[in-house]
Parts: sequence; structure tokens; C-alpha cells
Amino acid sequence: MSDNDPSMAATLAAATCALLGAGNASAADDEGDRWSIDSALLYYGEADNRVQDISAAISATRDFDDERKLTLSLTVDTLTGASPSGAIALDRPQTFTSPSGNKTYVTAAGKIPLDDTFLDTRYAATASWTQPLARLYTFSAGLGFSTEYDYTHLGANFSLARDFNKRNTTLFAGVAWSQDDIDPVGGAPIPMSQMLDAGDQSHKLGSDSKTVLDLLVGITQVLGRNTVLRVNYSFSDASGYLNDPYKIVSVVDPLSGDTLLRSPPSGAGPTGVYLYESRPDSRLKHSVYAELKHSLGRPVLHVAYRFMTDDWGIDSHTADARLRWPIGAAYFVEPQLRYYTQNEADFYRSSLRADEPVPQYASADFRLGSFDAVTAGVKFGGTTSRGGEWSARLEYYMQSGDVPSDQIIGNQARREQYPDLNAVIVQFGYKFRM
Amino acid sequence: MKDRRLILAFSTLLALLDGCTTLEPWQRDVLARPEMSLDASPLDAGIDDHIYFSKEASSGGRGFGGGGCGCN
Repeated sequence: MSDNDPSMAATLAAATCALLGAGNASAADDEGDRWSIDSALLYYGEADNRVQDISAAISATRDFDDERKLTLSLTVDTLTGASPSGAIALDRPQTFTSPSGNKTYVTAAGKIPLDDTFLDTRYAATASWTQPLARLYTFSAGLGFSTEYDYTHLGANFSLARDFNKRNTTLFAGVAWSQDDIDPVGGAPIPMSQMLDAGDQSHKLGSDSKTVLDLLVGITQVLGRNTVLRVNYSFSDASGYLNDPYKIVSVVDPLSGDTLLRSPPSGAGPTGVYLYESRPDSRLKHSVYAELKHSLGRPVLHVAYRFMTDDWGIDSHTADARLRWPIGAAYFVEPQLRYYTQNEADFYRSSLRADEPVPQYASADFRLGSFDAVTAGVKFGGTTSRGGEWSARLEYYMQSGDVPSDQIIGNQARREQYPDLNAVIVQFGYKFRM
Repeated sequence: MKDRRLILAFSTLLALLDGCTTLEPWQRDVLARPEMSLDASPLDAGIDDHIYFSKEASSGGRGFGGGGCGCN
């Protein structure tokens, strides 16, 4: 073998690696470098002073002998900004009681109400252990924890994979369980109760919780020397408190479509009738996910598609494509395009008519509405002389939706119904071994 | 009976996949490249999942999420 025959060298390296049973080629390269560190710094910013998030994430993987490995990760998120409350716009200013229940905020005439009182820091940590169980089996177990001001998450997962057909086929099955505790600012409001004056907490309960069970089965199949495919089916069963405690629905005049007005009897309070949202206490989701990687010589094409359907009446389709294109020996550029579309939940209501009985379930949360979203971006990266790998990613996320026409009443038709969401995503990453 | 059908379906699936492609270990030069791994950028994937989980009604599919949140 001569040094100037890289394809032969690569083939032999791959064969050696496969014979040794080492899935991670670089782990065998240098016995001294047992840790691989992956880090990222993210800025996510929505236009119009909506949500801004700065996040730092680090993940460290320690390789042990016999393909056993431990991965630890830590993420810190800092969120500020405003988020739509669910109330509709009006031709006059609207006053709302803030989630804490002791202040009010005002939305200008003609504007979709945004609740700008939230500010949160989230810490998340995960740990996972992977090891072979027998020659063709791989077992993995993980724990996850996250905490923020009003929310705590605890999760555990287990999975087992088995290789077939000279490791050209891998079947995978996993189960994940999580327990989340929600302790909203000011307490969780009673679903469909009316927003009360500042200082009146009689419609608020304490904390609540939910549990989520996820099952995942999947297959990874080599389709040729340059192509690999993965197909997953997943099932998710969430039960417990599934409301967003800060979202409300406007109650409107059945003819004009304007929010019913009220005068706060004492002190500060809402100037309209708004009810806290109510969602079912269980949600079953099914999704099918497929992704394919194909090498076109040095460039690599990655395409993915997901279909999701749930018993809230939401169906969604997600398609994602990215092409990693090498520039010289050390750099690459990777354009990315993602498209997402969903229809509204059965109980999505942009407003409630004053002459109808209060429904059991209703939410005006735009995330349960009907919308499309496009993400377009590019990632640029390269390797350093010391073997590290850096990257920078810039993406633009655009979401635009609409309220179903049969839900638009009277004057609502000439006002903005559904706020578009435009966000920029900037991410810097650095990976190295030590 | 149900078990036998399941086993039959499972073996048929494997037999079909076996027929479709079987690369020998020394033919895996391309697939062994780090960027050809389906999990080449787990941190990017986690960040994307977290953003879209917060802004859309769908989540998951690829694998297990890295932690819940009461995202606004």
C-alpha cells in the first residue's frame, strides 16, 4: 500500500474498523483522546420584540474499551420577550392581568395582544450510557433533567438495537418516560375560568403535573455503498396537565366579533372578558419519520420527512433537506431548507361567542392553529490544524398561519388575525477531542 | 397464532432486506465517513428539536427528546 493511494487506505481503515467492531473510527485513531467534546452557542431572536433566547450547550462523550461510552450534556437557556396570549386584536386598547396576578399590561389598539412579562432561565442535563450486550446487540439507557422557574422535567429512557445482515440492517426499539411538574407563576388557572382583577387569585389552583410515555421502533438499512436509510415509528401518550397556563381566549359579541367589555370594579384589571384555555388531559400522537443520507462523491445529501397525527385532530408534515458541500480539504458549506405544515386542533378557537355555552375545551394558542413554516439557512464549517471542528449556522424561520374562515366573526375580518412569526437563528459550534 | 404470524412477517422483512443490499465490511469506506453517520450532529439536532417543539404542535420522530420545557 502506498501513501498516495487514499482510497485503498480508506478502504483498509474501514475494514479494520469493522473487523474490530469499532463503530467510531476516530476513537481507534488515538488511544489518548478518550473524550469528545461538542459545544454550541445559540441565539434565537423573533422579530417585533417577541421571544429572544440565548443558549449554551455542551456535550461530552467518554469512550471506554469494548465500545462502551458515556455521554453527558448540559444546556442553559435564557429567554426574554413577548409571546401572543391568544386574545384577539381590538380597535381599542386592551388591559390584561399579568400571569403573576398582581400587575396589569396594556396592548395598543389594533395589535395582537402579546404578554411581555415572561423571563426565564432553563437548565437541562442529560446522561446516557451505551454498551454492547452481545455480539450484535447494543443497549442504551439515559436520564434527563431540566428545570426552569415554573417547570421541572425528569425523564428516563432505555433502548435496544440489534444488527442483522452483516450489520447492513439495524432494528431498534426504545421506551422513554417523563414526569413533568408545572408550577405556573401565580398558580395554574382553573380551565375556562375568567381572567380576574389584579390581586384576585380565587380562580388559581396550585401546581400540576403531566406524564409522557414514548415508544419508538426503527430500522436503519444500508441501501448501497453510498446510501443509508432510517425509518422510525413513534407513539407518544401524554396525560395530565397539558394546558398552557398563560394562554387565554377572548369572549366576543356574536355579531360584531368584538371582545365583550367590562369595567374593572376595583383597581386594575382586564377591560374585556377573557377565559383561560382548556385542553384535554390526554394526547396520543403517532409519527412516522424517514431519513436518507446519500453520498454524491464528496458532497453528502440528507433528506428527512415526518408525518405526525394525534387525537387532538392535528396532522403535520415536515420535510427537510440539506446538502453538505466540501470546499477544499478543510471546509464545507451546507445549505438547508425545511418545510412544515399543520392543521388546527379540533378545539382551536380564535374566539368564543358570548351566546354559546362555554365549551369543555378551547384554545386560541397559535401553535395549535393552522400554519405553514419555512426554515432556510446555511451552515459553514471547517477543521482546525489541531483536529478540532468549528461551525457557524445562520437560519431564518418564517411561520405564517390563518384562522379558519368559519371562525371569523364580524369586525374580526378587517383586523390582523394571526401574527406571522419571523425568527433568526445563529449558532456557533466547536468540537474537539481530548 | 399471532406470534407465529409476527415471526413470519419479521423473517420475511429481514429476508427482503437481505436481498436488497449486503455490503461487506471492506465496502464501507463511504459509509464510515463521519458526515455519513445519521447522527453526525446530535447537538444541532437537539437544538432544532427544542426550537420546533416550542413553536409547533409536533415533536420527536427522530429519537427521544432531551428534556421537556414549559415553552412559551
